[in-house]
Amino acid sequence: MLGLNSLFKLLRKTFAPKFEGRGFLPRRYYLYRALEALDEDDIDEAVRMITLAGLDKKKSARWRMVCQQIIFRCRVLVSVHEKQMDQINTELEIFGKTEDLRNLYLRLQEVERKARDILKNYELQLLEQLSASTASVAQPS
Amino acid sequence: MIQERNLSIPGGLTGALIGLAAELALEEITGMEVVGGLLAVIGAGFGLIRIDRRIYEATVNLVNRVPVEPTSDYRDVLEQIDEMSIELPELRESFVKLIHAGIEAQRA
Repeated sequence: MLGLNSLFKLLRKTFAPKFEGRGFLPRRYYLYRALEALDEDDIDEAVRMITLAGLDKKKSARWRMVCQQIIFRCRVLVSVHEKQMDQINTELEIFGKTEDLRNLYLRLQEVERKARDILKNYELQLLEQLSASTASVAQPS
Repeated sequence: MIQERNLSIPGGLTGALIGLAAELALEEITGMEVVGGLLAVIGAGFGLIRIDRRIYEATVNLVNRVPVEPTSDYRDVLEQIDEMSIELPELRESFVKLIHAGIEAQRA
């Protein structure tokens, strides 16, 4: 299977970028790519892929599962960034005596805050898609 | 007796040129890169066959990658997973199954 996977990756990297964004590849393809991005913690790509996989109104159980996995990972990473912000705050109070160090800690804190906000936005975006899919399942056809 | 192979370089080049011309013509007419698209779909097929297994592996990976404090025990981790899987019913169900399978495996 290693050979097939390598071939798959080679073909994908060479040809797929031109086609992925248009959303007409099979839904499973986008799910597979979302999972791959999730493994690499490339949340931006995972969100892009799961959104493309859910372009049609009929969202499968697999789509819901992968979507929930990405949301879960977002929450885990948000908690990691929040812990790092706390850590930076503590260090700022202890070591931030000089102007330079203080600025450095504040910059680090800003980076962490931005990363957290981006992840929270992704989480909200996916939760909306997930609740829309729940609503469409609940509606009688 | 070894059969002699006749390879024609001009023939090969002509074939490649015709293939390229056909692809460009298709692209011009349809507006899509047909050959690239077909190859992408064929390539994706290799991964798609195993999609359910990939989803399962991703679920296990998610649990494994939950950061654990050195001082926390398994109940803290379970609580953390529980909090983070609010509004995610299918994933939560999978986690419960994984945890039960783990407990059963330990008993056995």
